[in-house]
Amino acid sequence: MQSSTLSVGFKAKRAVVSTSLLALGVAFEIVSKHAKELKEELKYWQDGLVISLGVLNGPIITFKNDGGEIKYLGKGIKGNPDLTIYFKNVDSAFMTFTGQMGSYTAFVQHRALLHGNVGQAMQASRAMAIVQTYLMPGLIFDKLFKRAPKLSASQLALKARVMATLTPLMIAKAGK
Amino acid sequence: MYIPDYYEYACPVKIVSGLKALSNLPYEMDQLGTHRALIVTDRGVVGAGLIDIVKAAFEGSNCEIGDIYDQTPPDSSKSVVNQVAKLYISSKCDCFVAVGGGSSMDTAKCANMIVTEGTDDLMQFQGAERLKKPMEPFVAIPTTAGTGSEVTLAAVIYDDEAQIKLAFTSYQLLPKVAILDPKMTLTLPPKITAATGMDALTHAIEAFYCLQKNPVSDSFAIAAIKLIAEYLPKCVEKGDDENDRLAMANAALLAGISFSNSMCGVVHSLAHACGGVARVPHGVANAVLLPWGMENNLDKVGDIIAELAPILGAPLSGGSMDRAKAAIKAVRDLTKKLHDLCGLPTTLREANVEESQLETIARATINDGAATYNPEDVTYESALDMLKKAF
Repeated sequence: MQSSTLSVGFKAKRAVVSTSLLALGVAFEIVSKHAKELKEELKYWQDGLVISLGVLNGPIITFKNDGGEIKYLGKGIKGNPDLTIYFKNVDSAFMTFTGQMGSYTAFVQHRALLHGNVGQAMQASRAMAIVQTYLMPGLIFDKLFKRAPKLSASQLALKARVMATLTPLMIAKAGK
Repeated sequence: MYIPDYYEYACPVKIVSGLKALSNLPYEMDQLGTHRALIVTDRGVVGAGLIDIVKAAFEGSNCEIGDIYDQTPPDSSKSVVNQVAKLYISSKCDCFVAVGGGSSMDTAKCANMIVTEGTDDLMQFQGAERLKKPMEPFVAIPTTAGTGSEVTLAAVIYDDEAQIKLAFTSYQLLPKVAILDPKMTLTLPPKITAATGMDALTHAIEAFYCLQKNPVSDSFAIAAIKLIAEYLPKCVEKGDDENDRLAMANAALLAGISFSNSMCGVVHSLAHACGGVARVPHGVANAVLLPWGMENNLDKVGDIIAELAPILGAPLSGGSMDRAKAAIKAVRDLTKKLHDLCGLPTTLREANVEESQLETIARATINDGAATYNPEDVTYESALDMLKKAF
């Protein structure tokens, strides 16, 4: 379908999903450098693991485990990912990234597909949930997680730092 | 009845159940446009004389057995799957017929993937909903009651190197036909009857309270639980009644349909991990862990678990939480009864798990996909806690 025939509403949702993916990728980098609980989770990841996350026929990002820190590799599928997680459509991705449902709900409701090892996908899912605690407002944690995490003072301070640096870093990496 | 915001359901399998059902095998193959079967089975099934019953079903028909693979181990592996796929092709078969328990069924499903996709690398298809091509025709004939694999979209095999179980899920993996003939489970020994029956009960109970519960799967789950509560002890105590065996075969199938669509939760995550790390048979692990998994979910879905009380024959006095606890007690009473009848383990220690393995099992549990569907958050700490209690 030609881009010019897509509705304004669809293009807007797709733009929100695309921006959310960029935010997630950049935040993943920042949080993996500083958050103890994410470093602990990444200890068990295969070094060099490459993951792509996005929408079937839509926006996708790729990131990599680089010695226990996440490196955002950019938009699109880069190389041969070990694991790819696709939302079946923009609507499902939009609901997840705007906090209307948790990512676990998206999986449970068959709104996402998985190409790759289920065990690695579970690791990725836990790690992304940690990143979401630094991106999303605490008010909607009950919708996003089975048990809403309570952030400590140091985690709240890191969250403030993530929020403050996110936009400039997203602008810097938007072209990647 | 609970109606979720969203759910998906599929079960296109034709079910052929009852007296002399196996005689219809050639007809069902013919309806699928096939005439030359590869039988996938194991030595135990052969030794019990069940393959002779299958062979007899072909007499006077225009279908034949192309070959028989009877080396399926209790936990199928990548190498076994590749052997079966090669045999299917070299023997010019056009239909997989799995005769056995979950291992034979899952082996046939995975071999079917290899043949259909024209590859020898099963690992390419790991994940969920990856398969698009219609698969080779597949008829499933269970000899346990059971995994329900004859009606599920999942296949699980063992990766020897990584010591984990690998899961594949796709609607394409569903057989075309499932044949339930009571003769096929008549000779099942009491302990295996008990373990496989508890596997079926776990499927039904977890499907009833896990996150994708829906009115369709609930209907099947309730029917399965009722049948298991009534017929499992009978089949363990005195398994020579064909009607009782047919009831359990149907229970396992109903439980399979239920969990294939609603999925399972932490009990299956723990059981898969116990199987992968400590080689505990799947049904045994489920029997031991089911009450602990139900307790783990009391806070989130106690009101749903409470609905199981009358179905399990538990007392209905008290509030919702009392009935939920009564339902869990009913499960414990059932496993105790089965333990007394045939020695079915009720603890992980009795199932030959070593205490030193619990931490590794807990780590494997949180990486099992079934944990996603569990209502309560499954963490390493909560998994280890349940394992220690079950030990």
